[in-house]
Amino acid sequence: MAAPASREGEFTVDGVPVRAGGPADAVAGVVPRWVALPGSTTEVAAVLRAAAARDLAVLPAGGRATLHWGPPPERCDLLLDTGRLDRVLEHAAGDLVARTQAGVPMAALAATLAGAGQELALDVPVPGATVGGTLAGGLAGPRRLRYGTARDLLIGVTVVLADGTVARSGGKVVKNVAGYDLGKLFTGSHGTLGVIAEATFRLHPLPAGRAFVTVTVPDPAALPGLAAVAASPAEPSAVELELPDLSGPATLAVLVEGVAAAERAEVLRRALGPRAAIGTRAPAWWGRPPDGGHLLELRVPPAAVRPALAAIGAAAGDLPVAVRGSACVAVLYLALPGDVPPAAAAAFVAAARAAVAPLGGRLPVVAAPPAAAAGLDMLGPVGAAALMRRVKDRFDPEGRMAPGRLLPAAGGTTGGPWTPS
Amino acid sequence: MDPELIDDCVHCGFCLPACPTYALWAEEMDSPRGRIHLMKQHVEGTPLTPEMAGHFDACLGCLACVPACPSGVRYDRLIESARAEVERAHRRPAAERAFRALVFGLFPYPRRLRALRLPLRAATAARPWLRPLLDRLPPRLGALAELAPPLPRPIRLPARVPARGERRAVVGVLTGCVQREFFPAVNAATVRVLAMEGCEVVVPAGQGCCGALSAHGGRTAEAARFARRTIAAFERAGVDTVVVNAAGCGATAKEYAELLAADPEWSARARRLRFADLAEYLAELGPVAERHPLPITVAYHDACHLAHAQGVRAQPRESLAAIPGLRLREVPDAAMCCGSAGTYNLFQPAAARELGDRKAANVLSAGADLLVSANPGCTMQIASAVRRGGRDIRVAHTAEVLDASLRGLSPAALGRPGPGAAEEERRS
Amino acid sequence: MIAAGLADRLAAITGPDGLITDPVRLRTYECDGLTYHRATPAVVVLPETAEQVAAVVRACHRAGVPFVARGAGTGLSGGALPRADGVLVVTSRLRRVLSVEPENRRAVVEPGVTNLAITEAAAPYGLYYAPDPSSRQVCTIGGNVAENSGGAHCLKYGFTVNHVLAVELVTPEGEIVWLDTMDPGYDLLGAFIGSEGTLGIATKIIVRLTPEPEAVTTLLAAFPDVESGGRAVSAVIAAGIVPAAIEMMDALAIEAAEAAVRCGYPAGAGAVLIVELDGPAAQVVAEHERVVALCRESDAFELRVAEDPALRAAIWRGRRAAFAAVGRISPAYLVQDGVVPRTALPEVLAGIEALSARYGVRVANVFHAGDGNLHPLVLFDDGEPGAGARAEAVSAEILDLCLAHGGSITGEHGVGVDKARHMPKMFGAADLDTMQLLRCAFDPAGLANPGKIFPTPRLCGEVPGVRRAPHPLVASGEAELF
Repeated sequence: MAAPASREGEFTVDGVPVRAGGPADAVAGVVPRWVALPGSTTEVAAVLRAAAARDLAVLPAGGRATLHWGPPPERCDLLLDTGRLDRVLEHAAGDLVARTQAGVPMAALAATLAGAGQELALDVPVPGATVGGTLAGGLAGPRRLRYGTARDLLIGVTVVLADGTVARSGGKVVKNVAGYDLGKLFTGSHGTLGVIAEATFRLHPLPAGRAFVTVTVPDPAALPGLAAVAASPAEPSAVELELPDLSGPATLAVLVEGVAAAERAEVLRRALGPRAAIGTRAPAWWGRPPDGGHLLELRVPPAAVRPALAAIGAAAGDLPVAVRGSACVAVLYLALPGDVPPAAAAAFVAAARAAVAPLGGRLPVVAAPPAAAAGLDMLGPVGAAALMRRVKDRFDPEGRMAPGRLLPAAGGTTGGPWTPS
Repeated sequence: MDPELIDDCVHCGFCLPACPTYALWAEEMDSPRGRIHLMKQHVEGTPLTPEMAGHFDACLGCLACVPACPSGVRYDRLIESARAEVERAHRRPAAERAFRALVFGLFPYPRRLRALRLPLRAATAARPWLRPLLDRLPPRLGALAELAPPLPRPIRLPARVPARGERRAVVGVLTGCVQREFFPAVNAATVRVLAMEGCEVVVPAGQGCCGALSAHGGRTAEAARFARRTIAAFERAGVDTVVVNAAGCGATAKEYAELLAADPEWSARARRLRFADLAEYLAELGPVAERHPLPITVAYHDACHLAHAQGVRAQPRESLAAIPGLRLREVPDAAMCCGSAGTYNLFQPAAARELGDRKAANVLSAGADLLVSANPGCTMQIASAVRRGGRDIRVAHTAEVLDASLRGLSPAALGRPGPGAAEEERRS
Repeated sequence: MIAAGLADRLAAITGPDGLITDPVRLRTYECDGLTYHRATPAVVVLPETAEQVAAVVRACHRAGVPFVARGAGTGLSGGALPRADGVLVVTSRLRRVLSVEPENRRAVVEPGVTNLAITEAAAPYGLYYAPDPSSRQVCTIGGNVAENSGGAHCLKYGFTVNHVLAVELVTPEGEIVWLDTMDPGYDLLGAFIGSEGTLGIATKIIVRLTPEPEAVTTLLAAFPDVESGGRAVSAVIAAGIVPAAIEMMDALAIEAAEAAVRCGYPAGAGAVLIVELDGPAAQVVAEHERVVALCRESDAFELRVAEDPALRAAIWRGRRAAFAAVGRISPAYLVQDGVVPRTALPEVLAGIEALSARYGVRVANVFHAGDGNLHPLVLFDDGEPGAGARAEAVSAEILDLCLAHGGSITGEHGVGVDKARHMPKMFGAADLDTMQLLRCAFDPAGLANPGKIFPTPRLCGEVPGVRRAPHPLVASGEAELF
């Protein structure tokens, strides 16, 4: 029988290490009461059942690389740390498939797969991220242009719901349309629907070679045409833009990988003009979000990148805004310093959102200092906000999974991304 | 409606995008798959309802679905038997019956068509003033009047034309009914081209309608009667190959043996006679006559009964493209029927009109000086749709283009509407 | 049958021309590409706008009447099987390409547009729509979205879900919302794609367009048997090459294709492999040489290379026609769609052969060898008593074989009505119940394509809590609840 609902006293689960939370465990300033470290899917389920019995609010955590990105949790009684879920369960190299526990650091997974000349073609923007954290955070990096994001590479998932139900969807074959794809639903769910315990990915062979073509121009207006770069017969894997200041010099770096990478890079170098240069190493800033306490993610239709940046520049006024990200996919991080006053940050977010909306753009806030986060509508308008809340209510009817995170502010919906002209 | 032929359909739907009525209405019952399903319902005991009959009637019989079908369903045979069943078991409303009687009593008979020439010529001359009146006619009669081409003077073809140069073959030519009365220049060009390519050409008198209109209309007995007469005429002429220049006639003539299957003697006689489309035959024969330059841009239109029913697509294109100076353009969505479909534009004028408008737009988009096709119905239909849209286009038969090149005529000689072409003809 | 009042309301929405009630006409909609299951819908509606679809669905919702969406009716799992007590919403008249935006590498289309029509609309800009089911000239993008359709080229390029950027959705309650990859929050779009019409009806679809590759080569390799062809596939993958497509056909499938389209594949082949490579020219040239060498090492006895579109089309003609072509060599057949890990292919093919021998039922194999997606075609004579049942048994055992090797019951055809009964072999009760949570969020009344995917009819109750009292219907045993 379940123990009486209580957030007081001891929290124990058979065989699972549980310790008291401390300042080092604080999530955006909120210190969890306990930290549980299950080592298997069964133990994750046991922990969640126990938490359900005591009405505890649970926040799943992996490498804690981006855990502080979201707003402070409304409640956090229990931090479910996946650190002991650290085994790569299966690497079927002949099938280009790997199954892994959620707590495996992405770097460790990469090392294992590299042994067989393979990789998970998913770039992690933050060091230390685990498989589960990367999935739950919906993280992706430069090579999303060629390989898509986590949702495109995930072929199977085992999740544990708030009541301890263990559910699988997908499988370990790349091609599979049996049943709903819960993996997609949980990717980017930030722990609000349950805990990702295991994941199965499709893999790619490690590219035979790689080359970077880089060009720096005095200002964003002088950038080469992005559509032509994206459609280049050289088939770049990534096209990244670095703009330390909206009105300053801009750098475009293009990655070509695979067979004949050098020859293909040469094609791109010629296309990018006389200032372009070929190198074998990534620029230092490659694949990392720009520094800053406020991090936003600009998403626009590819043709709107330039006008969106111009509009954001106008909205920013004197605020220093750094931009970096995937230019051809048109997903770009914007960073503001952490010491920008909350009111100024909020005013910028509102103005910039209004400026990109007519271009079909979105501008969710990915990370903000805890003090500022409270005053921000983090997601901004979401087309299917009502459906999203209904999904949340079904999967976590008691609202105990990562409360306060991800769900859209009430009433915020967008029009369609496309209207007849 | 042979249940075994019906069962060949695996319901994959590959025929849907090929079907003109599905393109128009996007309803299952107006697709080949849906019509086969209706046939299945009927053979399994559902009585033939007016709705069913309406969907069979709405089929153009263009047979674009036949090459589209990976399972090899003989839709051509299925729809003809369905039409025969409709004729047998379905009683149409009185006005419709009367109109059908008029059409089937007129078109297959060159003499009756000839008798109609005078009133039609008057109507042609009066067309600009009659326009408001035509618009008020019942749509079917309006269609009949609108489609009628300007009438040429008749051309009498000799019964036998010797081969030019070395004789390579002896062939008969089927002159048809509509072709003969409304497009005599096409028959003349056909005979000349064959002769210039070394054929002795026989044009037997006493050949009438080949039976295509009746066969496609489900009037099987009538079609068989026409078929027997045609076979007999060419047997008497002593040829074993008959060249046909009208797509619909060729498709039917090639199927004579099946049409006459009930009568072993006649089907055997049908099998002994080979019918070939002009372009098909010329491609087999190989060119010998000199092609003179013909600087003109041509859009080639696939007549359904040539492309789909006979599979003749490449040969006419190749023979046109081989003419020096001629630029051949493809018509977008070429496999889609123009809506003429034999008598379809008379019985289903609204659908025919819409398909005609679509085809006209596609033909105009090809940007050609001249539209070439191997079927008089198609060219009449498309030219009329083009005129409806306030534009104009010159039309010609493949035979006329070849003839012009072989004789070294100027491109201006081609595609003059109506009497012009015939007069040009006499002067040369 | 449905109430006359609802039929009148539907007629008011679509106009009389958009409503079918005549029984003979209705019956032509009784099945999709899977003719084994049939049900005549109570009515068919043919809406022409998203607003009409929404109004129809709202009317159904208000009346508590189930509805099923259908595109071109080419599905092979009975996903568009109508309900005799429901409304069939046919999207064939929603067929406008609304815009092609080359600079955004996307197109906005209505659900009734065919897969191939999108590529044709994009072609003038050097772009195409990548997923290519074999029925691409007829299947609609709406159906592709519902089924998450794949195709021969999804080995390299992925499935529908990887190429759809946004969907305008009519929810099962008749509201119009956009699911958009650009929106933050849950990936509802990803969950919706492949939900087989159970979460609503897509009324506009924004698809990603892909630049045409610089070079394409298509290789046709003939092998003495399926096993040596399989070895070649493994060798190609092990060499780190990701071809655009690797397709295999066995002798029986070749015979059928030959009969249907005279594809002219090498005589005497026990198996043919089609390997298509595309991408930057330099890469394609290098990989092509490697693939040719690997095929030869695996005993390929004839290799043909197509570098121009006409020859490529000739090679693909046989493969694309293969399913329907089987109609030429057998009066009837079942198409199966199991998936196995690629490395298990030889064992599973041997297993299928053993099944075929044991039951005395011929099985033709056509498959996407690169991703282990098998399409065994189980041949039978529907005129022969008991033959259908034997074929069904073979078909079901093939799926068991796939599952035993860690595979799936469907790679691209969907579960539909046909494989719902196999779902419990692949998923546990908790898995299926969790999937139902998603369904209940979208469709609490359970009116969108009920009876598909899930084996057990279920009722979505109030949002349950761990310690809340059970739903009255559940307590009384009338329904199972979530």
